Amino acid sequence: MKLAVYRKKSPWILHYNAGGCNGCDIEILACLGPKYDIERFGMINSGNPKQSDILLVTGPVTKRSRERLVEVYAQMPEPKVVVSCGACACTGGVFRGMYNCEGGIDQYIPVDVYVCGCGSRPEQIIDGVIKALDILERKTLELEVSVRLKKVPVEENGQVNRREVAAKIIHTQHTYE
Amino acid sequence: MGKQYEIPLGAQHISLLEPLHFKFTTENEKIISTDANVYYVHRGIEEACCTKFKFRQVSFVVGRVCGLCSISHSTAYSQVAEKLVNIEAPLRAKYLRMLVIELDRIHSHLLCLSHVAENAGFEALFMKTMQYREFSMEMLEAVCGNRIQYDFSIVGGVARDLKAEVAGMILQRLKTFLPQLDELVDIFQNNWTLSLKNKGAGAITREAAMRLNVVGPFARAAGLAIDVRNETEDLLPWKEVGFEMVTDTTGDVYARNMVRLRELYISIRIIRNIIASLPESALVTETKAFPDGEAVVRLEAPRGELFYYAKGNKTQMLERLKIKAPTFSNVAAMVEAFTGNEYGSAPAIIASYDPCLSCTSR
Ligand code: SF4
Repeated sequence: MKLAVYRKKSPWILHYNAGGCNGCDIEILACLGPKYDIERFGMINSGNPKQSDILLVTGPVTKRSRERLVEVYAQMPEPKVVVSCGACACTGGVFRGMYNCEGGIDQYIPVDVYVCGCGSRPEQIIDGVIKALDILERKTLELEVSVRLKKVPVEENGQVNRREVAAKIIHTQHTYE
Repeated sequence: MGKQYEIPLGAQHISLLEPLHFKFTTENEKIISTDANVYYVHRGIEEACCTKFKFRQVSFVVGRVCGLCSISHSTAYSQVAEKLVNIEAPLRAKYLRMLVIELDRIHSHLLCLSHVAENAGFEALFMKTMQYREFSMEMLEAVCGNRIQYDFSIVGGVARDLKAEVAGMILQRLKTFLPQLDELVDIFQNNWTLSLKNKGAGAITREAAMRLNVVGPFARAAGLAIDVRNETEDLLPWKEVGFEMVTDTTGDVYARNMVRLRELYISIRIIRNIIASLPESALVTETKAFPDGEAVVRLEAPRGELFYYAKGNKTQMLERLKIKAPTFSNVAAMVEAFTGNEYGSAPAIIASYDPCLSCTSR
C-alpha cells in the first residue's frame, strides 16, 4: 500500500482555537493564503477531526475549551501529530496564571512540536508543520511494525481466527452499549 | 407546521476561527430561531490586569485580548490610563496611533471580506483578498516590528517612531493597492454568483438595529450613522485627517461588504493625510504619577465601538478595569438577523458579522 507516501505528501490539518487571542489563528489563515501557501506541501485545512493528521492548536487552554480540545484530539485517528502554535499554547504566555486558564496545552494532550512567538510568524508555523511531517512519518513506521508470533500456533481442534475474534468483540461491545 | 430540527454549529467548525457555538432551530432549511453561546474563550484578563500586572504593563496585556484589533485595545487602554495620571500624549504620538489603527483596519476588513468569500464558497476570491491583504501586514511589520501583536501604544505615547523610508514605502504600496481595491469592489459588487449568496441574506432593519444597539459596520450597513470617530475629537483628531462616514441602507451581507470596502478608501485617505502632515514632537510624555480616579474612553475599533473604564487608587495596580468590546453589543442582533434565512448561508452570514469572540469574553 502507498498509504505512507500519500500521508506524507498530503497531511490534512485540523485547527482548533483553545482560547487564544486570534493572533496566531489569523497567521494560520495567512499560511493558507497565496503568499505563504502551505497547499504546496499538500496540506489543506479540513474541519473534520476524523480526516486529519495534524492538529494545530493555539491559545492557552481555557476551562471551557479543554473538554473540546481533548475530545477533538481523541477523535483523530492514529498516527497523529500535535503542533502547538504560539507562546500561549506552549506555556500559557501572558495568560499563565489567570483564573480561567491553564498553562499550555501540554497539560492535556501530548505535544510534538512547539512553535514559539507571540504571534508566531507564518514562516515559523510552516517550519513547525514540516517538522511535524517527519514525526508523522516516524510514528507511522512505529505503528505499522508487524509483530511475528514466536511459536507455531496449535493446529488441532480447529484454527483460531484473529479476525473473527475481533469481530466478535466489537459485536458484543455494541450490544452492551 | 413542518418538522423542526435543531442543528448545532460549532464550537469547532471549519468556517469559524474561534470557538463559537450556534444552535439553529430549522424548519425546511429555514432558520426560525437561534441560540448563541459565545463564552468559550473567557480567560480572566480584567482580573489579572488589576492583580498581576502594574498599570504600565497592562497596555501590553490588553493587546492580547484580541489579535485582530490589538492596537485598538492598547490605544484605548493607554488613553484611559493617561486620563488617570493626568497627562496628554504628544501630537505626533496621536497621529502615529491613528496611522496604525487605520492600517489595522485595512487588514481586519480585508480578512473579514476574504472570510465571507470563503464561507460563501468562492475560494478564488478568498485567495485574491488574502493576497491583497498581505501588503497591510508587511506595512504593519515595518511600522511596529511585528505582524500581529504590535505593542505600539504605551501609556504616555507610542513606542516607536515612523521612519521616513517606511513612510515612503507605505505611500508607494498604497499606490499599488488602490487598483487592487477597485478590482475587489468590482467583484463584490457585480459578481452574479456571489450576489446570490449575499443580497438579502442576514438582513436587519434600521429600527431593529437601533433597538438592539448595534455598532460598527453592522450598524452602518443598516443605515445607522454610528461611528466614534465622528463623535469624539478630544483624544484622536479624526476629522482633521479626513474622516468621513460611510453608510448603506439594506443591512444585508452585501451591504456590510460594501460598507467595509468603502471604509477602506477612507482609511487610505486618512493614512495619506497623516503621512503628509505628521507633526514634529516628542513621542512619549513622561510622568511619575500613579493612576487616580475614574475615567472612560471610547474608540472605534474595526468592528465598532470599544469602551474602556478604569479606576485607580494611587497605587501601581488598577482597582478595576472594564472592557466592553464591539461584538458584545452585536450578539443580540446577530441572533436576530439569522431568522428567516437558509441554513446553508449561515456560515457566510456569521463571517459577515465579523465576530470577535476573544474580545467579547476576554
Ligand atoms: S501566542 Fe500571542 S498572538 Fe498567539 S494566540 Fe497567544 S496571545 Fe495571541
